Amino acid sequence: MVDWRLFDPLIEYARKRSMWIVAFCTGCGGIEMPPLATARYDFERFGIMPNPAPRMADLFLITGYVTPKTLKRIIITYEMQPDPKYVLAHGSCPLNGGIYWDAYNAIKHLDKYIPVDVAIAGCMPRPEAVMDGIQKMMELIETGKADGWKRYRENYEYYRKNQDELFGEGWRERTARMWIPWLMKGNNRGEE
Amino acid sequence: MIETALKVLFILLYATFVGFMFMGIIRIVTARIHRRVGPPIYQPILDTIKLLSKESNITHGFIYDFGILYAVGATILAVMFIPLGSIGVLRAYGDLILITFLLEIPMLGIMFAAMSSGNPWAGIGAQRALLTLLAIQVPLGFAVIALAEYYGTFSTYEIVMAQQISGWSIAHFPLLLAAIAYDLVLQAMFGKEPFDIMIAPGEISLGPMVEFGGKHMGLLNIQHAIALFAETLFFSNIFLGGGVVTAFSSPVLNTIAGLLVLLVKQIAVLLVATFMAAIFPRFTIDQAAKFYWKWPTIIAALGAILASL
Ligand code: SF4
Repeated sequence: MVDWRLFDPLIEYARKRSMWIVAFCTGCGGIEMPPLATARYDFERFGIMPNPAPRMADLFLITGYVTPKTLKRIIITYEMQPDPKYVLAHGSCPLNGGIYWDAYNAIKHLDKYIPVDVAIAGCMPRPEAVMDGIQKMMELIETGKADGWKRYRENYEYYRKNQDELFGEGWRERTARMWIPWLMKGNNRGEE
Repeated sequence: MIETALKVLFILLYATFVGFMFMGIIRIVTARIHRRVGPPIYQPILDTIKLLSKESNITHGFIYDFGILYAVGATILAVMFIPLGSIGVLRAYGDLILITFLLEIPMLGIMFAAMSSGNPWAGIGAQRALLTLLAIQVPLGFAVIALAEYYGTFSTYEIVMAQQISGWSIAHFPLLLAAIAYDLVLQAMFGKEPFDIMIAPGEISLGPMVEFGGKHMGLLNIQHAIALFAETLFFSNIFLGGGVVTAFSSPVLNTIAGLLVLLVKQIAVLLVATFMAAIFPRFTIDQAAKFYWKWPTIIAALGAILASL
């Protein structure tokens, strides 16, 4: 048998140098992403590639305030990613609500619903700051401390409880079926 | 027997490695065109290692796994038939139609896998990919006919040998027309920009690739590398004179020189494709089908008629 642990440094290096981002732009921070990817602050230097499909992604940038409606999609996208996956929360809003501290419709602590590995403060952070966060994330991956995906697996009850508290039990099915009555009604009207 | 096995192994490793370098070159050149620094050249290798080392994998059933293996296998088989300088395992049997056919089989494997995932984006992507595949057949067929008419043979190896005597194919006017049509078709075969309708990042998520993650995507990366190698190799063999060097007295030196000459030609083909990809926006699928049935078809048909005169 080959001892796969021998290759661990190589694998860690590859994971660190080729983080693919799932292009999920929430909130104002979405506007800070294109400058990162284009000519001035080019993050492809570090092998980062924006990718529209969650199945191929490793790095999940939460780029701003999260409403409950978005949080459902964020959780589903997060769970679709294969396993070594990292979350970088970006801006003050995912940390503690930021300027939306008294909004009825913004999530105050993202960390209660999905595990966050690195957080960057700022409203909104400069691309340099995001680069700094990415650098930090690389360090954590290299030392094996970016273990949000392990925490999510081990403490799934905790995260699940918080999610259910917010949305109510069975929210996945309810969200999926949300449009069916509306569509049926539309069809009937079309026939009349 | 052992010699053949070693040759197969060598071709496989060489094709994979050079294919990965080609993918790196494409990314660097695109970045430089955008005035960016771009990733290091070995970036695709790191991507593949990362994808293969994912700890959780999804599968949607037997066909989902089998389609990927089918695509990889077909690509490897295609490489074996194309003469690689003076190395070649099955080059005596590699006729034009067989290789053209084998280079399109991987697309079908990917389509199988994508369709069995049940994702609607993958379904749309597969539909577009099959329509593109249908559209490129017409100019491709005329280009192959032009070559066969001109040289009087279907064998790729004999065409390479004939070019040793009579000069490169693109130096003859009818074959130049065929080469232009084939180069336009290559753009769709690489999945590059004006005709990357089947993948269409941003437009339909990632098309057929949308459900592949982890090890499946890693295998597809390897397949993409070998396919890039095979397609550029085929083009340089039939139109750019292949890589048969007889300048040195020792056969080993000749082989190495042949590989280098081929490498230069392949990179030239690749760069033309990259430049086109960087400056043209994507066609919609109906425009692409109309385009392929119009200009490349006219050019290639003209080439075929002139070649048979
Ligand atoms: S932290 Fe500021 S910039 Fe970022 S989403 Fe919140 S309000 Fe917008």
